[in-house]
Amino acid sequence: MEVLKEKVEEEEAAEREDAAEWAERMEKMRPAEVQKEETILTQEMLRDLEKKILEIEIPTPTDPPVVTEDTIDISNLPLSYKTNTPKEEHLLQVANNFSRQYSHLCPDRVPLFLHPLNECEVPKFVSTTLRPTLMPYPDLYNWDGCANFVSDFLTRVPLPDPLKPPLHLYSSTTVLKQQKGNCFDFSMLLCSMLLGAGYDAYCVNGYGSQDLCNMDLTREVCPLTVKPKERVRKIQKVQPKKYTIKPPRDLTSRFEQEQEVKRQEEAKAQEEKLRWEEEERLLEAEKAKPDPLHGLRVHCWVLVLSGKREVPEGFFIDPFTGRSYSTQDDHFLGIESLWNHRNYWVNMQDCWNCCKDLVFDLGDPVRWEYMLLGTDTSQLSLAEEEDEGLNDDDDVQDLGKKTEDKSFDMPSSWVKQIEISPEAFKTRCPNGKKVLQYRRAQLEKWAPYLNSNGLVCRLTTYEDLECTKILEIKEWYQNREDTLELKHINNCTGLHTDYFRPGHPQALWVHTYKSMQPENDRVMEFYETARVDGLIKREETPKTMTEYYKGRPDFLSYRHINFGPRVKKLTVTSTESNPRPMVKITERFSRNPAKPADEDVAERVFLIAEERIQLRYHCRDDHITASKSEFLRRSEVDNKGNKIIMTSDMCISFEVEPMEHTKKLLYQYETMMHLKNEEKLSKHQAWESELEVLEILKLREEEEEAHMLSISIYDTKRNKRSKEHREAMERVMHEEHLRQVEAQLDYLAPFLAQLPPGEKLTRMQAVRLKEECLSDFKQRLIDKANLIQARFEKENQELQKKQQWYQENQVTLTPEDEDLYLSYCSQAMFRIHILEQRLNRHKELAPLKYLALEEKLCKDPRLAEFLKVPA
Amino acid sequence: MNRIYDSVEPRVIDDDMLKLAVGEQGPQEEAGQLAKQEGILFKDVLSLQLDFQNILRIDNLWQFENLQKLQLDNNIIERIEGLENLTQLVWLDLSFNNIKVIEGLDTLVNLEDLSLFNNRISKIDSLDALVKLQVLSLGNNQIDNMMNIIYLRQFKCLRTLSLSGNPITQAEDYRMFIYAHLPDLVYLDFRRIDDHMANLAEMKYQYTIDELKHREHLRQTKLEEEEAQQMKLEEHKMAFVEHLNGSFLFDSMYAEDVEGSKLSCLPIVGELLETYKDKFVIICLNIFEYGLKQHEKRKLELDTFNECVQEAIKENQEQGKLRIARFEEKHLLSVSAIREESELLNIEKRIVECGEDITELFNVLMTLEMQLVEQLEETINMFERNITDMVGTFIENVQSLILSCRDLENHHHEKLLEISISTLEKIIKGELDEELPDDVRTLFVDKDTIINAVGASHDIHLLQIDNREDELVTRINSWCTHLVDKIHKDEVMRNRKRVKEINQYIDHMQSELDNLECGDMD
Repeated sequence: MEVLKEKVEEEEAAEREDAAEWAERMEKMRPAEVQKEETILTQEMLRDLEKKILEIEIPTPTDPPVVTEDTIDISNLPLSYKTNTPKEEHLLQVANNFSRQYSHLCPDRVPLFLHPLNECEVPKFVSTTLRPTLMPYPDLYNWDGCANFVSDFLTRVPLPDPLKPPLHLYSSTTVLKQQKGNCFDFSMLLCSMLLGAGYDAYCVNGYGSQDLCNMDLTREVCPLTVKPKERVRKIQKVQPKKYTIKPPRDLTSRFEQEQEVKRQEEAKAQEEKLRWEEEERLLEAEKAKPDPLHGLRVHCWVLVLSGKREVPEGFFIDPFTGRSYSTQDDHFLGIESLWNHRNYWVNMQDCWNCCKDLVFDLGDPVRWEYMLLGTDTSQLSLAEEEDEGLNDDDDVQDLGKKTEDKSFDMPSSWVKQIEISPEAFKTRCPNGKKVLQYRRAQLEKWAPYLNSNGLVCRLTTYEDLECTKILEIKEWYQNREDTLELKHINNCTGLHTDYFRPGHPQALWVHTYKSMQPENDRVMEFYETARVDGLIKREETPKTMTEYYKGRPDFLSYRHINFGPRVKKLTVTSTESNPRPMVKITERFSRNPAKPADEDVAERVFLIAEERIQLRYHCRDDHITASKSEFLRRSEVDNKGNKIIMTSDMCISFEVEPMEHTKKLLYQYETMMHLKNEEKLSKHQAWESELEVLEILKLREEEEEAHMLSISIYDTKRNKRSKEHREAMERVMHEEHLRQVEAQLDYLAPFLAQLPPGEKLTRMQAVRLKEECLSDFKQRLIDKANLIQARFEKENQELQKKQQWYQENQVTLTPEDEDLYLSYCSQAMFRIHILEQRLNRHKELAPLKYLALEEKLCKDPRLAEFLKVPA
Repeated sequence: MNRIYDSVEPRVIDDDMLKLAVGEQGPQEEAGQLAKQEGILFKDVLSLQLDFQNILRIDNLWQFENLQKLQLDNNIIERIEGLENLTQLVWLDLSFNNIKVIEGLDTLVNLEDLSLFNNRISKIDSLDALVKLQVLSLGNNQIDNMMNIIYLRQFKCLRTLSLSGNPITQAEDYRMFIYAHLPDLVYLDFRRIDDHMANLAEMKYQYTIDELKHREHLRQTKLEEEEAQQMKLEEHKMAFVEHLNGSFLFDSMYAEDVEGSKLSCLPIVGELLETYKDKFVIICLNIFEYGLKQHEKRKLELDTFNECVQEAIKENQEQGKLRIARFEEKHLLSVSAIREESELLNIEKRIVECGEDITELFNVLMTLEMQLVEQLEETINMFERNITDMVGTFIENVQSLILSCRDLENHHHEKLLEISISTLEKIIKGELDEELPDDVRTLFVDKDTIINAVGASHDIHLLQIDNREDELVTRINSWCTHLVDKIHKDEVMRNRKRVKEINQYIDHMQSELDNLECGDMD
């Protein structure tokens, strides 16, 4: 450092000369706005303006959740947080030197953001605060995942002074613990993660628009409301083939057509203009008020440059929203400096046109002044050789890095490894909840399993800017037992639409309804492959029901049922449902290739009220008309009183190609009988469909009420059953362990303790020990027997008392008291019985136990040698 | 067999018996009454039962074209006959008869279930046509040759077989043999075949089976090869250049040419012939390739044409259908309106309106059709021109190629004549070194003889070439005319059919309307 300083002093003289030139250059480096507004202003006027601007009161948030030191427990932080290593000290000196020279050469520019204090009030160089870390979650491998995570995970805290970079810059570990931070904290964390994931990422200190700095999305369109643009399919113009027939001659007037087109175009233009004006007006209304601090608000964001991880071109990420912006975006108004974990660059380019003209070639020393030499020069442009030549007589060179030790590189990060626990990762937002306000929309997010009904996301769209009139609500669910995925409520039409994932017990896919009451307007769509009957869709209106099928072996594709008004039943037999009478059933069939077209029914209509059946057959391939027939089902009696079975006027048919056998009465009769059966079947099926609707509605209601959440068997935390099982296992293990410990209990221990320790036992002592132990045990057995006996007698006495009391008061007792007495009696009898049993058992076992102990004592290694001798 | 019926006279199936059977087995109750009223046609009958009738001879069954199930069990039939027309038959029961030989089943290609239980059959045979056979019952017969089972290998659908009560069942390995040789069989003698046993059997007879399979495979490949060859020839024939991809024409030139072959043994002639043949074959190959190419081209042209015409017709049809659908919708509404209308005047007005609608529909449909006819006419004419041109060029080119063949022949003829004369001179002078065969020598008697001989050979050759050329030209011309004729005829047929269809439909609509009118008038 000494050497450096000397060098600097030597060069100072030369520098002073250049300073004027420098200052001139630096003039241009001012943040965009000031420059833009008043390019002809004098210095004084500028200062004046600045004063004025500073006088403007900055609207501070009502309760600024500013992080204060006392909320951070610094006692547990490692040493690297509290002190600086010599290398870091060296770096800080270099940085100070750099900063001094910079402020000397560019007096008009704001001081550099180089080494803010950390949570332990220790200055740390910004690059060392970055800790590149690759997260162990697959979701955090790509930049968008990281950006979304950071924006979700942290809560925004405004900068203490929106016009200056903060004084403190905490480590990412602290920020993660607190789950809140300012834009610098956001960016540092995101940048660390991106660097760890292999991106060429940088933290950028610069100026942003008001919306950006305040995380104000109210002028942004919610990304979820943007409908994916329908890809316009290009209709391929079919090349007319050699023998394509010529179209018939067009005999209409071309002039008239042209006039018509012209007229229509005019009307369209008029309409367009009106609409455009309307839109313009709306836009005007929505536009933000001009910001008095435009271009002065400090912001920090992340820059990702191309080259690594297949990034095609550089872009910005706003850490608050996690959105990417192009480097030309209007929100970014200027860049002071940027850094990654290796180096620090100062922007020497003019920002009068926001960031639009900036070139992110960090190897170009004219545009980007770097602080450390030779650490990271991968960005050098192709014209490196040329640059070198130019640099020799460039003032930039004189900032004294040439003289610096070339091998000096950035010390490793002082920050501990960034860790995110799986729970925190799953919970994501602080407390698992986050609300975002967009233009005419509000987005709420919850962590999975936080809401008992599985709600994870809700998007409310409003009609007006003030967000008072709700247009529609979309709710996303996760892990629901009923596989409900998305609920869409349209407030204008009153339509509810539920979307289900595959796996619903009724194979439901989409359910659109206005009310859950049956026999109303509703549409149910099904996963067709999951259903045996191949039903795809069932539409209902109060009077009709339409069903669409696909892939049925009987080729049924459509069934439409018209209902008549319900017949009021006089008898009150409410056990049976009263279905609406069916007036008409229309069924359509797709072509069955196994049958000839003339025998393959395309449509059959059962006019139940009129006792009529209409059939329409499929059209033959080379025909334009199809066969039809109509059956009248009236059974009449002829003038002799005989029942007419079948007459030719009961069947009217049109046949494309008249056939012999269809004329026969027998054939017609058989067909009609068959159709009669079919009609019965169709009616039955329609009735079943109605029942199914009721069933589904009931099921849906039950599911809505229960809203059970399914838990993966691999989720050991949430899966209660497996948890219980595991705990039971643990308990068993524990008990087993206890038993083993008990087995090793030492009977002699209390008696041995009476003897002076360390002495060898004598024979006398041993015998006495044994006797004492045995007598003690005997006493215990007797005590126990007595205890049981005492209890037994007590119970007996009490029972007798009670019985006496009962006999005395038997007459005056209420039934309840009597019941009480009886239950007491039975319980008391039970207790007495048990005590009796225990006593008997004890009497039986006591001698055995006594003998067992004696034997055990005899075999005890400590006493054995003394006791076996007399034998 | 059926001794109880011995007392009764043997019978032949006759009309009365059939009528009775059909009447008895036909529809019952209400439908039966109707059937009686109308009578049942034999060709509408699907199933017929003629058991215990003491039938000796099958006859008079030819009318039952659509019969699917026929039961002739428990009779005294001795020959299977008279079943040729019953091609739809699926189920045939001839059990408990006196049949000795399986025969007369060659037309029953749809037969799936055949029962010949309790007969006197000694050999399984003549079943080749029954490719769909699934169930075969041959119990209580006199089949005694185990090898006869192999015959059943060709029935890929055969699942159930019964052979109980035959002499072969006495054989020790009867079951194993059948398991091994009929691996697709599921039931034998009314019992399901055990998989384990089947595996064992397969192992036991592995060698014989493999050999069988090998032989079958060889036969199969041979058949396929022949088929492929046939296909190729067919294709060449379609291109009118069959047998031109080799020396076939050249060989045929010399096949009938006695003198030519005699002369070929002259010195130098052999060599000459060789080069001549080579050149000739090359030209033939040229013709062949050209022919194939032209054939491709014609085919493509025809395909495009057909495709375009089909598209046009399809589109026209769609339009027609659309119009009809629209009309029907409207018509239905107005008819129901008429039905509900009570005012007589209004009814008449509406009926008139309906009639107008029908006429309009007729006009629209006919206009569409006429339009299509015009368009197609134009296209067909264009195609005709093109195809005729193509054929013309083809013929021209082939003719020019054949001309070069003729030139070669002429050239060869001259050379041969030269050689012959020089040889003759040599012979006359007695300078010939080599010995000539006697029959050749007889040609070299004098100049006239030899010139005649060579000339005759030449004539034969030219004739062969001319014949081939003529054949080609005539055939391609006739193909072309046929094609064009057919296209025209098809178009006319289509047109007529469509017009008839439209008329029929309109008539039907009109008559319906008239009926309505009458009904209302009443």
